[in-house]
Amino acid sequence: MSTVRIQARGLTRDFGGGAGVYGIDLEVAAGEIHALVGLNGAGKTTLMRLLLGMLRPDAGTVLLNGRPPEPGAWSRVGHLVETPFAYGELDGRTNLMLAARLHGVPVPEAARMVHSVLTELNLARYARVRARRLSLGNRQRLGLAAALQHHPEIIVLDEPTNALDPAGVILLREALVRRAAAGAGVLVSSHHLDEVARVAHRITVINGGRVIGSLDPHGIDIERSFFALVHADDERRAREGADQELDDQQRRAA
Amino acid sequence: MTAQTLAIAIAVEARKAFASRVLVSTAVLLCVGVAAISASTMAAAQGGNEQLAAKLGPLALQGGWPGLLAVAAQVTAAAGLLAFGVGLSWLFAREFTDGTITGLFGLPVTRPTIALAKLTVYLVWTLAVAVLLTVAVAVTAVAVAGEWPSAAAWAGLARLFALAVMTASLPVPAAWVATIGRGLLPAIATTVALLAATQIVVVAGLAGGWFPLAAPALWAVLPGTVSPAQLLLTATVPLGFGLLTLHAWRRLQLDR
Repeated sequence: MSTVRIQARGLTRDFGGGAGVYGIDLEVAAGEIHALVGLNGAGKTTLMRLLLGMLRPDAGTVLLNGRPPEPGAWSRVGHLVETPFAYGELDGRTNLMLAARLHGVPVPEAARMVHSVLTELNLARYARVRARRLSLGNRQRLGLAAALQHHPEIIVLDEPTNALDPAGVILLREALVRRAAAGAGVLVSSHHLDEVARVAHRITVINGGRVIGSLDPHGIDIERSFFALVHADDERRAREGADQELDDQQRRAA
Repeated sequence: MTAQTLAIAIAVEARKAFASRVLVSTAVLLCVGVAAISASTMAAAQGGNEQLAAKLGPLALQGGWPGLLAVAAQVTAAAGLLAFGVGLSWLFAREFTDGTITGLFGLPVTRPTIALAKLTVYLVWTLAVAVLLTVAVAVTAVAVAGEWPSAAAWAGLARLFALAVMTASLPVPAAWVATIGRGLLPAIATTVALLAATQIVVVAGLAGGWFPLAAPALWAVLPGTVSPAQLLLTATVPLGFGLLTLHAWRRLQLDR
């Protein structure tokens, strides 16, 4: 039986007004790339923040490698949620060194690691360039390098292809495939079926803060299947909302 | 939190802090500003500006070392609070304004450890600034008075150094507010509010040495008027709000 790298059970965080995630169950196995696909506001980022401890759940649990997260376990996690971890006044190499040190990597090993990831993500020419001078796409690459350089067992990336050019997308895709083949569990989110979602072993569709189904990554016309799932869920929730409003009106009238 | 993770966090925070121009430029502005304002204000008071003379007190009219040190203490108490508050606010608030706070989650180095490292780097920076400020005022005094410091002047310089260090401990509430408010503006507003509250309490003569924010300045200008107990009370501000800041970083959520 393969190791479950990430396990979420009944994960709920309600921000009110219909925003949040509700009763999410999710698993990412070792060696698996799991794509989380949903439109803007579907709850992907909230779910990832819950998995990474950036939010506390109202209900539900998160297990990483089968255990509740504790400080030491985070050294085996790499993530990029929203903003790349890059300080504008520091150059690419220094940013990566600091990220490696914060993941508990000793200095000599960190130096080797940084050299390797700069080559892997084609960032070597920006090693001595301050992050604030980098283009948006190269800043994103730097953030991805910080998340991946220590070869974590658990990788969580929120819309990682944002601002990347096609060459960057291919480099990222290959880097994730390599890490998954080495036993990492990878969770990536996207608002569309991009190049990274298409190499996933599993695609989960999220809408309105709930898991509404999955897609076969090898299926034909999965884009159409994705929109059909989302559309059906939107219609179902609209019907339920209308029924609820009618019930409320009848109760008030009575 | 272990000694090893704290050492890593301090090294990382120091690298970030001193690569930026914010702390260096704030330090230069404060040191040069205090020296220049002290010299020019004393000259203006001696030159017959009665309002200024009344505000600065009789020591400023003496001129020379005693006058310059008395004016420098008053300027340091106000300008120092503002400058140190800006530096500390930036150290904490930048993670929220730059969006790098997300990268400080999910690490073996915990967030309270990172917050403690920030406060440690701040302490080191303030000690260096206090030394530079004292040297800048001493050099200015030698130039203005045209003589080397007497024993009393050395004691005055030591008091100025101590005042700068104590003043640097007062804006720690800004670190807590930067965390709670998730940004720079609430922290800067807190610093300005601390400064305004101190000025009002001192001018109105409401609490004197028993008001922790005012005690260091009163002690530096009029040493006999503030007791050791009153000075010790000042330490409750950085200690209390330092602990609150660590707690806020431990409980931090990205829910706004």
